[in-house]
Order: sequence, then structure tokens, then C-alpha cells
Amino acid sequence: MNASEIVAFKEKVIASAKTTKTIKTDFVQYKHLDFLSDDVKTSGKMVFKAPNLVKWEYTNPYQYSVIFKEDQLLINDGGTKSKVDIGNSKLFKKLNQLIVNSVKGNMFSDSDFTVSFFKSSKYNKAVFIPKDRKIASYIASFELLFNKNDAQVYEVKMVEPSQDFTRIVFSNRTLNGPVNDSVFSN
Amino acid sequence: MIRFLAISFLACLLFASCSLKTTEGLRQVHFNKTEVENPYFSNPEIDYVYKAKIEVYKKNFGGILIIKKTAPESHRVVFTTEFGSKLFDFQFEGDTFTKHFVVEDLDKKFIINILKADFKLLVNEKTKIFTVYESENQRIYKTQDAERFNFYFFDDESEKLQKIVNTSKTKEKVEVDFTTSEGKIADTIAIKHSNIKLTIDLEKFKQD
Repeated sequence: MNASEIVAFKEKVIASAKTTKTIKTDFVQYKHLDFLSDDVKTSGKMVFKAPNLVKWEYTNPYQYSVIFKEDQLLINDGGTKSKVDIGNSKLFKKLNQLIVNSVKGNMFSDSDFTVSFFKSSKYNKAVFIPKDRKIASYIASFELLFNKNDAQVYEVKMVEPSQDFTRIVFSNRTLNGPVNDSVFSN
Repeated sequence: MIRFLAISFLACLLFASCSLKTTEGLRQVHFNKTEVENPYFSNPEIDYVYKAKIEVYKKNFGGILIIKKTAPESHRVVFTTEFGSKLFDFQFEGDTFTKHFVVEDLDKKFIINILKADFKLLVNEKTKIFTVYESENQRIYKTQDAERFNFYFFDDESEKLQKIVNTSKTKEKVEVDFTTSEGKIADTIAIKHSNIKLTIDLEKFKQD
């Protein structure tokens, strides 16, 4: 993308993120490890409610959900419930913020990353490279793919320093439908 | 007479303190097999993927355990969170252990040693037999690994590997229980430690 394309693209994503109050979407996650024959595939549903409530619910091949709520993770691992306090973990807070912002697509103002932009006929791509050394030891880069027409994120890819990666592809997205707060309790 | 009683008593005590629960009621039998085989991670064409639940001192963690036989003597063992981020990535090649990656919080010597021992026990394919025992419906192969012993329990009829018990000379340390429907792939695996409060439960991913 050239400079003016980048400005236009960012504006579109930010405008779209601003009007996004809730998101409901299905997702498929692919874990790629170089030595495996096939990617490890899991799938489920994700719900987001502004400003920062997120629930990831895996339904296949197992039941597992995580709710990001304030400074806590509420986990339900096939009926085993637990709580993780992330208040003291700067790294976890950063990752949580990343997840929320990547769902919305609005993470261009994040000074912790160097961002570059690419385009193809179907999508726009933003690649984020962490500046912090600790984060960089876990994540080499973070890629968001956006639909060209509605500026919504349709794929998130997290590349590890080893070049193994996790790819999450969204489908059946509903924007701004009613989402009850009770969704975000364990 | 008193001397005889004293010796008997002492022998009894010694014997009792040396006896493992694992071998109680078993009879030692003659054998001509030289190696015992664990079939559950032996096919290089299979990606072995399990949902893992770990309970350590009443705290629960979950994740995905991935095991792959990458060469005749080599296994890769990777543990990730449900979101896919790696927690550790080990390689077992013969007697060589390689740590490809471990997250900072887990990278402590005693944790690594436990994980290394547990997963070595799991992926180790062939071991020389030391002694063979029999029970009513099981055949048990005892093997030696440095200061420790492993007991492999096979069902007589189905010839399926049902459990491995790792012991010192006198105490049970780790027990691994398998369930399997077809005998070559474990559907569930439960790893239980007896000296620390650690259990690892694994359940095989269902095919699409």
C-alpha cells in the first residue's frame, strides 16, 4: 500500500471498529507445526461486546471456553471451572489487549508494534511486529487480514519465532446484534 | 531357635519394606521375549493429538498435547494452550533430550525433569525385558531404567497395553493408564504421580 492507501484503509477500519458494539462469529483455528502432517484443527464461536468483553468458546472437538473480563480469565474446561488473575501480568494484559483489538481490527495506534500494510485483490493485510523483547520471544509477528469491502477482520495469524503459526479464520459474522451480559459469566 | 526367629522376623521386615504393591500377588514366570513394546506412539504417519487437562496441587490447566514420531528413534512432544501458543516443545531422540522451546514460567529445572521423565515414559517404544510376571488375566513385563523400574501391564486376551507403572526399588512413583478400542492408538491416557500432587489426563481428538 502507498501512503494515501494506508491512511484511507486505517480510517475505514477505525470507523468500522467505532460502530461495532457487538460481534458474534464462528471461527476455525488451525495450529500449524512444521513436523505435523496436518494442522491441528479446532473450532467454535466468539462473542465480543464493547468495550472489552470477549468470550472464546471451542465446541469441536472439545468443550472449552475462556472469558476475558476485566483483569480475569474465566475458564470452563469441559465442566472444570477456574479463574486466572491477570492483573499482575503485563504480558498477559498485553496479549488480552491484542486479542480485543485484533477482533475489532483497531490496533494501529499501538506503539508496541511496528506495522506494515499489504494489499491484494480480495483483502488488505496488516502485519504487526512486536518491539518488546519479551513479547517478541513468543510472537514473531501478528497478521490481520481484512475484507476489502467492510473492513472487518476475517483472519488472524500469529507467527511464532520458530515460524510455526496459529491461524484463526472467522465466518458467519453478526454485527451489533443483542448480546446479553450473562454470556460473559462462568 | 531364638536366633532363627530373629532372622525370620528381620527377613520378613526387610522383605515387607522392599515389596512393591505393583507386584503383590503376581507370580514370576519364565520368558523368551527380549523386548517389550509400547505401540501407542509408534506410527510415524499419525499426528497424535490430545486434549490435556492437568491438575497440579489443586490448580487446573488445560491445553493440547501433540506427539509425532519424526524418525525411527525420535519423537517430538509439543504442548500448546487451547489458543495454540506453545508452552513447551521437546524432542526425544534415543537417550538425547532436546528442549526446543519452553515458556519462561515453566522453565525450571524440577518442572522440566518431571515433564521429561513423564513424556519419555510415554513415547519410549522398546525396552529390554528384565523379568516377567503373570496374574490371572495380565502379563507384566518389568524393565529397568537407571535407578527406576517400569512395569508394563498387558491384557492376556486382547494383548493391549493397559498401564505402565514406574517405581523405585521400593515405591511406586508414576502410573500411566491407557484405554484403547483398537489397540494401536490410546483413546485416553491418565498419568498419576504418587509423590507429588500431579495428574495429567489426555483425551484423543475425535476425527472430523
